[in-house]
Amino acid sequence: MSAEPSLHSRRTLTLRFDLPISKTREFWDSLRSGKFVTTKCAKCGTVSFPPQSDCPKCMGSEFGWVDLGRDATLVTCTQVRIMPPSFAGSGPYLIAIGEFSGGAKVLAWLEGVKREEAMPGMKLRVEARASREGNPFYVFVRA
Amino acid sequence: MNRVAVVGIGHSKFGRRTDVSIGELAFESIKQAVDDAGVDRKDIANVVIGNMGGWSAESLPAVVVDEYAGLDGVGTMRVEAACASGSAALKSAYNSVLSGEGDLAMAVGVEKMSEVDTPTTVELIGRAGSYAWEFENYGMTFPAYYALYAVAHMNKFGTTEEDMARVAVKAHHYGAMNPLAQFQKEITLEKALGSQVVAWPLKLYDACPLTDGSAAVVLASEEVAKRLTDTPIWIRGIGCSSDSANLSRRGSYVGLDAAVRAARRAYSMAKVGPEDIDVATAHDCFTIAELMAYEDLGFCKKGEGAKMIREGQTEIGGRIPVNLDGGLKAKGHPVGATGVSMTVEITKQLRGEAGKRQAPIRKGVGLVHNIGGTGHYAYITVLARD
Repeated sequence: MSAEPSLHSRRTLTLRFDLPISKTREFWDSLRSGKFVTTKCAKCGTVSFPPQSDCPKCMGSEFGWVDLGRDATLVTCTQVRIMPPSFAGSGPYLIAIGEFSGGAKVLAWLEGVKREEAMPGMKLRVEARASREGNPFYVFVRA
Repeated sequence: MNRVAVVGIGHSKFGRRTDVSIGELAFESIKQAVDDAGVDRKDIANVVIGNMGGWSAESLPAVVVDEYAGLDGVGTMRVEAACASGSAALKSAYNSVLSGEGDLAMAVGVEKMSEVDTPTTVELIGRAGSYAWEFENYGMTFPAYYALYAVAHMNKFGTTEEDMARVAVKAHHYGAMNPLAQFQKEITLEKALGSQVVAWPLKLYDACPLTDGSAAVVLASEEVAKRLTDTPIWIRGIGCSSDSANLSRRGSYVGLDAAVRAARRAYSMAKVGPEDIDVATAHDCFTIAELMAYEDLGFCKKGEGAKMIREGQTEIGGRIPVNLDGGLKAKGHPVGATGVSMTVEITKQLRGEAGKRQAPIRKGVGLVHNIGGTGHYAYITVLARD
């Protein structure tokens, strides 16, 4: 590993997190049925993405869910060629930030598009996916 | 208001320092800084360690560093503001002196990134944003975050890959004159443009390396500073700000709003403007970041960053020389050490001790622009001869 003498530590550590979703469960459940929703504050009307149960604007904790629809416009993008090791095997992937008509922006993979074709202004559609473990997530595709 | 000055500076060799532990690495800078200041360690009330960690073995770097350097019983902590942890440490040490806690404080930046393999570091830095929403499913990497800005900047202002490569060429030019830099070799535009793409459109030569290194500064109250040295460098303004963890929540992708806000606060506190800056360090973790920094700091108009580099306005002889130490690109970027390293560099420049890479000092004012993450944190410090 290193040119200089060193003690290669024998102790290893694996981290695997449990990410709480109780308060945003509606988002994940809706995604499974093909709907892309997020939170809207009942008091001041602020729409947040990512969804959050407590309003960042007025600190109110009463909220409802709004459908963002499926159509977005590409704001910016990149293609990751050197991947984190936990994404080994995912191949180079495109990542885009898409803006929905109400102004909410979302970062996700952009699938089925060549790097040369991905341009700001491109029309996108959000689609639900499931990971190998069955966890729901979402990607953009060309509209 | 009481004034606070930098009265002692220390800086290790940057690079792949597999020869030293984190304590040994920090000691190199601490010893120089204490000697340079001519102070007794016992008189330092507070030692603040800027360190991001995660890739190094010690979980409590502050006490490991303090113990090794014999800073017995000192008030201490580690602070984290990602790649701006060093400036956060500086701010904390500054506040310690300003509050009257003691007449002396020290900010130490140290990072040991080579204790794990490179892929593990790629993984850890990629998580520096919103783990739950932007990493877990999408595998963001540090170059990818800045690539999102690069694409937007190119699209809006016509900035090119060649403009970005010019930043790397400049960095290596000055890095070649800095004996403490990780890379001390000039590069050509062709070499930079021909390097491997890591996150399109950013290539290997658009990116700073992984680095081990440390830097330290001793700060003193006005009365003590004047007794210790004839060349105190005053901290005239510190401005800081932050932005959303999720990149999706940013207002735009052509500049760092946190840096604009931090600059406004730092200029206002120091009662100076961009036209008063003789020399600056800009946080060029990626080449696009330096071009955006010119704009965010008001060195040029929005969208004209590329013009500044093309015209050589940020070289010695230009309007505002930037990163004469080689920048993060060539000097290296030991994450938590960088903000302190930048403060050391600007102190050297204002003292007139930068040798071959000395900027002309007219108004006696220098600036440190230090960004954490992708504009998640921004710290801007204005330093001056008086």
